[in-house]
Amino acid sequence: MFQNRKEALALALPAALFAATVFLVPVVLLLSEGFRAPGHWSISAYIDFFASPLNRAVFLRTLKLGFLVTAVAAVLGYAAAYAIVPLPASAKGRMIGLVVLPLMISPVARTYAWIVILGRTGIVNQALSFVGLTDEPLRILFTETAVFIGLLQLFLPLMIISLISALENLPRDVVPAARVLGANWFQVFWKVILPLTREGLVIGGTLVFTGAMTAYITPAILGGSKVLMLETLLYQRVTVASDFASASVIALILISMSFAANILLRRIASVRRKS
Amino acid sequence: MMRNTAGPIVLLLVLGFLIGPFIIIVAASFSAGDTLAFPPQGFSLKWIVKVFTVESFRQSFAISMFLAVGSTLAALILGIPASYAMSRYRLPGSETVRFMVSMPIIVPGIIVGLALLRFFVIPVGLSITLALFLAHTALVLPYAVRVVSASLANLRTDIEEAAVLLGSSRMGAFFRVILPNIRGGILAAFILGFVTSFNQVPVSLFLSGPGVRTLPIDMLGYMEIVFDPSIAALSSLLAFMSMAVVFAAERLLGFSRYV
Repeated sequence: MFQNRKEALALALPAALFAATVFLVPVVLLLSEGFRAPGHWSISAYIDFFASPLNRAVFLRTLKLGFLVTAVAAVLGYAAAYAIVPLPASAKGRMIGLVVLPLMISPVARTYAWIVILGRTGIVNQALSFVGLTDEPLRILFTETAVFIGLLQLFLPLMIISLISALENLPRDVVPAARVLGANWFQVFWKVILPLTREGLVIGGTLVFTGAMTAYITPAILGGSKVLMLETLLYQRVTVASDFASASVIALILISMSFAANILLRRIASVRRKS
Repeated sequence: MMRNTAGPIVLLLVLGFLIGPFIIIVAASFSAGDTLAFPPQGFSLKWIVKVFTVESFRQSFAISMFLAVGSTLAALILGIPASYAMSRYRLPGSETVRFMVSMPIIVPGIIVGLALLRFFVIPVGLSITLALFLAHTALVLPYAVRVVSASLANLRTDIEEAAVLLGSSRMGAFFRVILPNIRGGILAAFILGFVTSFNQVPVSLFLSGPGVRTLPIDMLGYMEIVFDPSIAALSSLLAFMSMAVVFAAERLLGFSRYV
């Protein structure tokens, strides 16, 4: 540890100043705009925003999709992670590689693939009409289902990775012990696995939930203007109506959520470091 | 023992769900047909070739490349000294600095882009390219600081103290002792920053303007108008590019240790 305070400041200051001017000050100004009325402070932008049924619907849809994607990702994540963890080291490494692989690919490319799959002439519709289940193509694109599927595929890897590290720390003999003592699989999961891997679930869940709530590309491509989420609504309010008050309200909602999630993750990380 | 068969089946389905769309995109890009379809109609390389002939793709690719390389370098130039100060000096408020620098990860990109546009770029009168460069630098900075800090934390402090005791200046010790030892971490930060900037959409959304667009923004615009397999071809090319970069990094320096 060096003591020279001036040297330390000289080294750290450029980065801090850069972050302040390019990022911190503009974002604070943007947020303050939502509380400004001519001549005084007010929360009328918030009242106006939530007075609109469309905005309320978008807000609730964003929350709903966030929760749904997180819940389904948790179920699939546990199943996948539970199958990956006991594999021998080399196979495990390969499986984790396959799970992480999509994260390296451009989200635009990953989302675009769903157009090929879910579109009017896409694979799903071809299969359905081939089997004879439908006479005319089902409309899946530009529905909540399409956005849900796209978000799930985008963020599921984060859940699986978090749960793999949680399950690896699960003592080897607790599951067989519970089985021998007569617990069924549901009880084993609910009373043994879940409490012991709660931390991994919270980490994965937070990453998936904030990721899904703040996604732009997926609702933009797969939802369009029919299935708006908060970020696509923000974009639309700004570009179509120059409605900066609504943009500021949405920004505050999204930022406070991300911050809450970040604080939660930090707390978990610091508890883990101490123990 | 039902669990022993159910587990792998679910795993296979999940992997299919995660990887399948990518395989379909690759297959669709070799189609000979004129519309996007799967299974592809015939086999041809015409869409792969077409990607290289579209003028706007060439331009936006160049811009994205410039942004990814330039902003990552800038983030490292700002981030390495800051990480060094936070790890080696008793710096008052070092947690504040760390928090400030890491915030662009926490705040959604679309908000960063809009705020920067309205309260910095327009008042100051910056060009679009410079605005994108600043935004991408802010976005990459948290990754640079995190990865470089991690490799500094793993480096013993006594070797630089030894260098200083033996008469080297602080600066000399940094360049001759520290820097060579955290080379791997810096390279890892560079790759992470490059991929993050190159694939970035929300930050660039409001900042892109006429004639100056990043590649992903260009692709978003193109796919709204044209429904041919060229976006699929471009997507596969990009995917293979990022995979090659990550794979090479993993082979060369065990990239995953740093991330």
